[in-house]
Amino acid sequence: MRNGLIFFTGLFAAVLLSWAGIVLSSHAQLGKLTPYFDENEGKAFPLRPSGVAGQGQLVYDDLNCAVCHTQQVRRPDFGSDKARGWGDHQSVARDYIYDMRVQLGESRLGPDLANVGIRKTPYDSEDLLKLLYSGAGTMPPYKFLFEKRALAGRQPSDYAMKLRGDLAAPAGYEIVPTARAQALVAYLLSLNQAYEYPEARPVQPAAAKEGEHK
Amino acid sequence: MSDQSPVDPRLQQPGASDESLLSAHEKELGRKPNDGGHYRLLPLVLLFVFSGLIFYAGTYLNHYSGRYNASIFNENAHPSGAKVAAAKIDPLVLGKRNYEQVCSTCHQLNGQGVAGIYPPLAGSEWAVGSPDRVIRILLHGLKGPLTVEGKEYGQAAMPAFGQVAGSGYNWNDDRIAAVLTYVRQEWGNKGEAITAEQVAAIHTKESSRKEWSQDELKALP
Amino acid sequence: MTTASNEVSEIDANARFPLSLLIASAILWLILSGVLAILNFAQNLSPSFLADCSWFTYGRLHAMQETAFIYGWVATAGFAVALWILGRLGGSPLRSLNWTVVGTIFWNLGVTIGLIGIALGDGTSISLLHLPDYVQPLLLVSFGAIAVTGVLAWTGRQHRATFAAQWYAVAALFLFPWLFSAAQAMLVWFPVRGTLQAVAAGWFLQGAWTLWIAPLALSAAYYLVPKISGRVIPAYDFASLSFWTLLVVGGWTGGRHLVGGPVPAWIATIAIVSCVMLTFHYAVTAINLRGAFGKSSISLKFIAYGVLAYVVGGFADAATAMRSVSEVTQFTWVSVAQTQLANSGAFTMIMFGAIYFLVPRIANQAWPSASLIRGHYIAALIGTTLLVGSLVVAGIVQGRDLANPATSFADLSAHVRPWLLAATASQALLVLGNIVFAIHFARVVVAKPTVTAENLFSQPPVMEASVS
Repeated sequence: MRNGLIFFTGLFAAVLLSWAGIVLSSHAQLGKLTPYFDENEGKAFPLRPSGVAGQGQLVYDDLNCAVCHTQQVRRPDFGSDKARGWGDHQSVARDYIYDMRVQLGESRLGPDLANVGIRKTPYDSEDLLKLLYSGAGTMPPYKFLFEKRALAGRQPSDYAMKLRGDLAAPAGYEIVPTARAQALVAYLLSLNQAYEYPEARPVQPAAAKEGEHK
Repeated sequence: MSDQSPVDPRLQQPGASDESLLSAHEKELGRKPNDGGHYRLLPLVLLFVFSGLIFYAGTYLNHYSGRYNASIFNENAHPSGAKVAAAKIDPLVLGKRNYEQVCSTCHQLNGQGVAGIYPPLAGSEWAVGSPDRVIRILLHGLKGPLTVEGKEYGQAAMPAFGQVAGSGYNWNDDRIAAVLTYVRQEWGNKGEAITAEQVAAIHTKESSRKEWSQDELKALP
Repeated sequence: MTTASNEVSEIDANARFPLSLLIASAILWLILSGVLAILNFAQNLSPSFLADCSWFTYGRLHAMQETAFIYGWVATAGFAVALWILGRLGGSPLRSLNWTVVGTIFWNLGVTIGLIGIALGDGTSISLLHLPDYVQPLLLVSFGAIAVTGVLAWTGRQHRATFAAQWYAVAALFLFPWLFSAAQAMLVWFPVRGTLQAVAAGWFLQGAWTLWIAPLALSAAYYLVPKISGRVIPAYDFASLSFWTLLVVGGWTGGRHLVGGPVPAWIATIAIVSCVMLTFHYAVTAINLRGAFGKSSISLKFIAYGVLAYVVGGFADAATAMRSVSEVTQFTWVSVAQTQLANSGAFTMIMFGAIYFLVPRIANQAWPSASLIRGHYIAALIGTTLLVGSLVVAGIVQGRDLANPATSFADLSAHVRPWLLAATASQALLVLGNIVFAIHFARVVVAKPTVTAENLFSQPPVMEASVS
């Protein structure tokens, strides 16, 4: 490796090759994915999230929730995702095209959230706000997303949290979720990958059908 | 300081000079796989290992890459020759939706129409009658006096819905077939379903023309 | 100019201040990241710990700890050792060292601002790119300022022949800016659409390890093993193939963490195949660097552990990439364990070995205390092994619990808890060892040398090739 020019060209080519091979060719396949129009429903999927949900995703992003929660459902025969009620079918690329910052997640210290907006026993915003305020198990409390306001004689706000026991606000105070908390909850409730795209449908194992060697 | 043993961790002595390190290794590169007629074992072993890895890699890629298809998310899948089939359209669902959004404006949700102006579809002999006529009505529209269940209509013209010149709707053949099927099987109507192929055949035959009149339609079988 | 009779020369004297600055920064970042890691582990054990302060919420603390470790310790230690090696093997004093000093100051400034930014909520959620967008260009430019010295040391070298240590060091310094800028463009400045972000982020993550961090560690190992033992690298004619295998194949492992994920299957398949192909590189590395084992030199003891961690980590990577294993270990502490094995095991231990060897040469001063060095070695050895081991077990327990749909998350965290306790304790041991290291280093650099360089070191012998 004496010739400097060839060496540097080789180094650059090595990284360029992997970038072109993985990132560029994925871009050709995924970079301009469009929504899928369903004739029966008369709608295009994925549905566009609301603006508040988009704000909520930014809150999710800066709190780095993706460290403990994933948002990708694996297919039913690969892990227990379906059995745990996290989703009926595999998440596919089209589910994420409207996400500004895709939050696939690093690890599962907590449950997967891809379909948390449509769980079998559904959450509503009050449940989620309570969860954020108090934490649960290994999930920490996020009290800084809430404000403690003095009542000073006026009526409690419509948005005040209804908490009991140790968590309840001291006398003369109310706990109100901040705009960030409400946006985050709106985002969580918008998480819905229920629509089954053609590419997400289960596949018959080809080897069984074709009888070729595996 | 100078009487520290060679392995004193506080001051490790060099085992070789940098220059000799460079030149010794340069000489190493001149070694050939065979020394004095005997092959060195290591290059052969490494060659076999490398080839084995490439063979494994190729086989694995062949089986589990899904032919690098953008729609294959399951590595066990192999792309079939056919296009990925879209979801089958249920004609009654599609037809009902279109009827409720468009047709019900005049013919009403209950298919009764408006007396004297818009003919009913529920129980109408035209609606459950000859497919040839009813397809043409939807494709090109209907104008002029019309007798349905003994009553006279004719004040309002039915617009063209097909992909024909002058049509404001440009419905494709699938949609026309779906709506007709829905109309022929709703509100107690017992007509046969109409397929997109039937619509397509008539569409091709008739292409563009002005609205049909009752007499022209009655002339058809 | 290093002649055959002098171990140190003006090359080392010239570089004394910039390298000391880099190493001092590196050690401070190492301790800071270690403390942040202890706090982060503690939050796993007691979730309400520090949770009321938004600066130290779990997610942000995790991002801060990772950033301080990689952009703080790994980057600056890697710079210091790479520049030192390139200078010595280049045969003439390093040029543009003023740029290196300025670059180091701005790099440290950038990382500091970045950490505060993450605490305040400006960080991204991209693994290894958590820094806020406003410091990323600053870091890119500072990297260039420091790296230019190393590249010039290669292009302006005295000897035509080059050695494996130089290839690896130059590769690391040259390739990281391309990786970093491409990742910034695709993820921060002009974000790509949908899961393509995950593919690009995976490419950057794997590229940072295979094209930046691993080459820095290998450069130091390839230099120090023959340098200290006095024997040539055994299968040196394969070193070049091993080098190019790492660089060419390494970047293709980008989809490694996307097995079963919302990307086309071929991306994960190529990553798995590449991880398996890389075992060739790890095998040749093990063969070439086996001279580190069984030696009494303290640097070689550190490096031996690092090489072992590197090779074991490489084979473990290939094994856990397999889909059948991934099904259980994905999204668990096993991935964290692998990262720790690579960063704390391989890279950090090799850097410790290199620093213990090079500091007397730039400071003209022996380390004051042998027992502090041995103490650091024991702490690092036990701490790293225990950390990786307990995280692996935690991950396997977690993986099996996740695979069983009847197991609730409450039960899962109860099962994993004792292993996380062990991991926290081992992280604390590591930080303790590193504090000892920091104090020791401070003593060396502030002390005035009492003897001249020529009298400090013995004459380096001439290395013999295995054939004449």
